[in-house]
Amino acid sequence: MDIKLSIKNLDAYYGKNKVLNNISIDIPRNKVIAIIGPSGCGKSTFVRCLNRMHEVVGGTIKGSIELDGKEITNVDPVLIRKKMGMVFQKPNPFPSMSVFNNVASGLKLNGFGRKKDMAQVVEKCLKQAALWDEVKDHLNQGGMELSGGQQQRLCIARALAVNPEVLLMDEPASALDPISTTKIEDLIFDLKKNYTIIIVTHNMQQAARVSDYTAFFYVGDLIEYNETQKIFTIPDKKQTEDYVRGRFG
Amino acid sequence: MQEHYSQEIERLKTNLIKMASLVDDQAERVFNALETGDVELCRGVKPKDLEIDAYDNLITTQCENIFALFQPVAVDLRFVISSLMINNQLERCGDIAVNISQRVKKTSGFHSLIIESGILEMGQKARLMLKNSIDSFIQNNSKLAGEVILNDEEVDKLNKHCFNYLVFNMQADNSLIEPCTHLIVLTRHIERLADHATNIAESLVFYVEARLIAHQNKHPKLPEE
Repeated sequence: MDIKLSIKNLDAYYGKNKVLNNISIDIPRNKVIAIIGPSGCGKSTFVRCLNRMHEVVGGTIKGSIELDGKEITNVDPVLIRKKMGMVFQKPNPFPSMSVFNNVASGLKLNGFGRKKDMAQVVEKCLKQAALWDEVKDHLNQGGMELSGGQQQRLCIARALAVNPEVLLMDEPASALDPISTTKIEDLIFDLKKNYTIIIVTHNMQQAARVSDYTAFFYVGDLIEYNETQKIFTIPDKKQTEDYVRGRFG
Repeated sequence: MQEHYSQEIERLKTNLIKMASLVDDQAERVFNALETGDVELCRGVKPKDLEIDAYDNLITTQCENIFALFQPVAVDLRFVISSLMINNQLERCGDIAVNISQRVKKTSGFHSLIIESGILEMGQKARLMLKNSIDSFIQNNSKLAGEVILNDEEVDKLNKHCFNYLVFNMQADNSLIEPCTHLIVLTRHIERLADHATNIAESLVFYVEARLIAHQNKHPKLPEE
């Protein structure tokens, strides 16, 4: 298997409070990995460890995270975040910026100069995010004027603009209506041709629909990690089966 | 939601058990008629089959509702899938019981032929297979289901033996052509009953052990795309 991210013996802490225990996962390239588990199990903390955002909120980690075989826990977090774009639960376009500038902002911050080229990159990203057809005539409109589903796709386009290798999605469709959710799920399916995607979701059916592999977390432990088809048909652990069947507790 | 879901699954199982009991009663009745030659036992078999058909519709609807409303996964998904498959097999068993009752009526005057041909022995084995397949479902007993599957070959052998015996008798005595033809059709029904019992047992193994065991070693597994 071609491994994009290799996580070994990862512990995460908030102060002295340990929230992830000895997590080891190999994440294959160009696949979608769903992270599932009840609230407080460490799903979001796990993805935030990957792009070093856990440290931003005062957390610490132990263990190893390798991206393409290179350790990233000791690298400048800004460089890591260029390689790992993130999309959050609630769409968060920059409120004062137009649709165009929302996507271009990352490019500008990274010193991407030429305006003509920038327009091409913005168009490409909006197309990749399946938003271009809906906004191509309103690129100067404010990002906040879009619908919730469009805003979320705008955020995905913004994340794609800096040309990441991995996309981290923390419940990207949980605040969206079913049609917007379907668009995001279709988008995930298309994007995995070029990106490795890790998606945190509370929606079991969504995990089953979009992901190739699923990891089940519970109280900071990785209970089971396997092909999604196996997790949702005949998981190895009873705890996993109880959870996916909705009989947990 | 969780309790509601469990209740739906429980209701489905209860209805399948009720349907299976009806089918078992029908089989019991027609095989007793075959064994004793008492055609009166066949009375009421056909009307009772309508109730089995009604269960077929009820269970299909219940499964559809569970798929649509609860999106079952893992063992629950296998239970609903196997319930659909078992429901279909039980409905066919009900039809076969009716078919057997019709042939029993037409061959009641040829009891010695029934005994000598080995049809009774074949019927008893198929009857036991059906009973055990139903029990395996009620008890979630995949070991018992495995025994049912193994017995199918024996019924097939007995079917061949009965067929050869009846053909021999038709060749030897023209007056036996009609009853022997009815009995050949009867053995065909019994053989199919054993096949359906086998299918029920295979569905039970799929539910309990998550293994597809039907049609094994007959053709290489096909790729999904």
